[in-house]
Amino acid sequence: MNLSPVLKVENLQTRFKSVQRGKFVHAVDDVSIELFPGEIVGLVGESGCGKSTLGRSIVGLEKATAGRVLLDGVDLSTLSGAALRKSRRALQYVFQDPYSSLNDRQTVGEAIDEALIIDGLRDPTARERRTKELLDQVGLVSVVKDRHTRELSGGQRQRVAIARSLAVNPRVLICDEPVSALDLSIRAQVMNLFLRLQKDLGVACLFIAHDLALVRQAASRTYVMYLGKIVEHGPSQELYDHPSHPYAQMLLASAPEVDPRIEKSRRGPLMIGEIPSPTNPPSGCRFRTRCPLAVDACAQALPPAISLSADHDASCLLAAELHRGSRSALAIQAA
Amino acid sequence: MNMLKTILAQINKMPRAALITIGLFLALGIFAPWIAPQDPSAQNLLDAGGGPSAAHWLGTDNLGRDTLSRLIIAANTSLVSVGSVLIIAMTIGILMGTIAGYHRGWVDDLLMRIVDVGLSIPSLITALAVIGIVGPGYWTMVMALSLAWWPMSGRISRGVAVSIMSKPHIEALRVLGASPWRIYFGHLLPGTIGQVMVYATADAGTAALAVATLSFLGLGIQPPTPEWGQMLVDALPYLESDPRQVLLPGFALTAAVIGFNILGESIALNRIPKPLTRRMLALRRAEVASWGKENSNA
Repeated sequence: MNLSPVLKVENLQTRFKSVQRGKFVHAVDDVSIELFPGEIVGLVGESGCGKSTLGRSIVGLEKATAGRVLLDGVDLSTLSGAALRKSRRALQYVFQDPYSSLNDRQTVGEAIDEALIIDGLRDPTARERRTKELLDQVGLVSVVKDRHTRELSGGQRQRVAIARSLAVNPRVLICDEPVSALDLSIRAQVMNLFLRLQKDLGVACLFIAHDLALVRQAASRTYVMYLGKIVEHGPSQELYDHPSHPYAQMLLASAPEVDPRIEKSRRGPLMIGEIPSPTNPPSGCRFRTRCPLAVDACAQALPPAISLSADHDASCLLAAELHRGSRSALAIQAA
Repeated sequence: MNMLKTILAQINKMPRAALITIGLFLALGIFAPWIAPQDPSAQNLLDAGGGPSAAHWLGTDNLGRDTLSRLIIAANTSLVSVGSVLIIAMTIGILMGTIAGYHRGWVDDLLMRIVDVGLSIPSLITALAVIGIVGPGYWTMVMALSLAWWPMSGRISRGVAVSIMSKPHIEALRVLGASPWRIYFGHLLPGTIGQVMVYATADAGTAALAVATLSFLGLGIQPPTPEWGQMLVDALPYLESDPRQVLLPGFALTAAVIGFNILGESIALNRIPKPLTRRMLALRRAEVASWGKENSNA
């Protein structure tokens, strides 16, 4: 891709003070990602791997301890106060729970109106017109604007939340499991809405999810995260067909199969053990404690990202072999 | 019209007896000067200690003053002083609580330690200390009680403010780039006031009792202003010969305190939504479904 990325995250690190004195929870550790205009990118990983913290750090809801976030080439850490709020407006966040991300005391119209006021739209008639337009974009009739948000269903509330994010004309939308709190039937509708908006408005979208099938369908590229680090990254199609990091292989194989015959032939749980504590991450490769292929060298140093093909890389010493298919974490597991 | 209906429906759910008592208390308190049939301070020693009669419905006290008029005017005194105490205490408490809840960190620690100090001293002792220094008087009492009262509302507001601040809708505003002023005045303060007001109703009874206690001790409302606690003291020497003079203000005070407590409790409980009837649910579902037009094209 010869375009310049709209969002570039460089070596971002977010750590929290641990309850153990003098220790830190390494929630996000040295993560670099890129988003190009009008692209949907997936970010997958187990619960507690830091994917939500990464999203929150990018929009500034958590304070990153190191690293940079560049929006259109502008380093956000060099800005502060009103200038920072103005620049950051181009980065919007869609929350997982549509029931708590809207103020119950406001009507739909007031919620969207407020976003428009914050964005500096003074003229009330222009605001009204824009509110109507936004509701239309997310597929809601305009009479809804006089309703209190608490009267709406989950799917409708999530649409309102999306409309409000779009009110400030964002370049990047960070969606933190935006459909996992919704009914299955509503999920497809909201997902289609995302795809349409991305096509119509050209908004780049970082899609944080644990539903792998959803990400495969929607995202052009996917990042796989494990214990605060990106372990593999590549075009979704290739990554799903040829996962080259043992963790990615096992994660993908853990997803339930639609076909009952295949599902029946599967052997027990693939992933063994719990995710290690991010307060005391293992030395070297972070996955080595659960990896069936781990060797002594894995504990020595952090494995570098090995480039496998155009835009596809994995941080594993065996990545090349795994990519070729001459070895597999799953085969060892089965034996 | 619609709003009136919701308000009426809300009132209907409250315990009727408490509502009538407090309604009566408020009405008498607000309109006391026009309702009181006679001058509450007019003495008539010839008629002192008289029983109920056509001229004096509830009789007269030891100085021949009309008891009914004094009770009504006392409701006004009580209402004004309790109202002022609560307004001042709530203002200080809510301001400190929301500031602590908004900033967290060391601001929170500092303000809450001050609140802890305030809470650790019994409110009546704080009030007595202030009155002891400044000297008894109407506004001294109001100030003293406010000073004793605000830590509680400060603590409650802080809790409410923290819970509001941690909600994703405040985070959503931050992401939208809302200014701290907008978050504080537009979302945090109104939300906190709404919830803390519920506690204020239940607190009003205790405050009324505190006003009467201080006046009873001669540290609050000074004679000749009629006040329930004041009336109790005046009637105390005649307890055996004329117990009615003690019973009437005592009864009025008890009714007000119990009324406020029950009302406050029921307001707090009524905030839990009641399940809708089946018909209402069906209507709602049909209406909610009509808002989305996506059903066809998605």
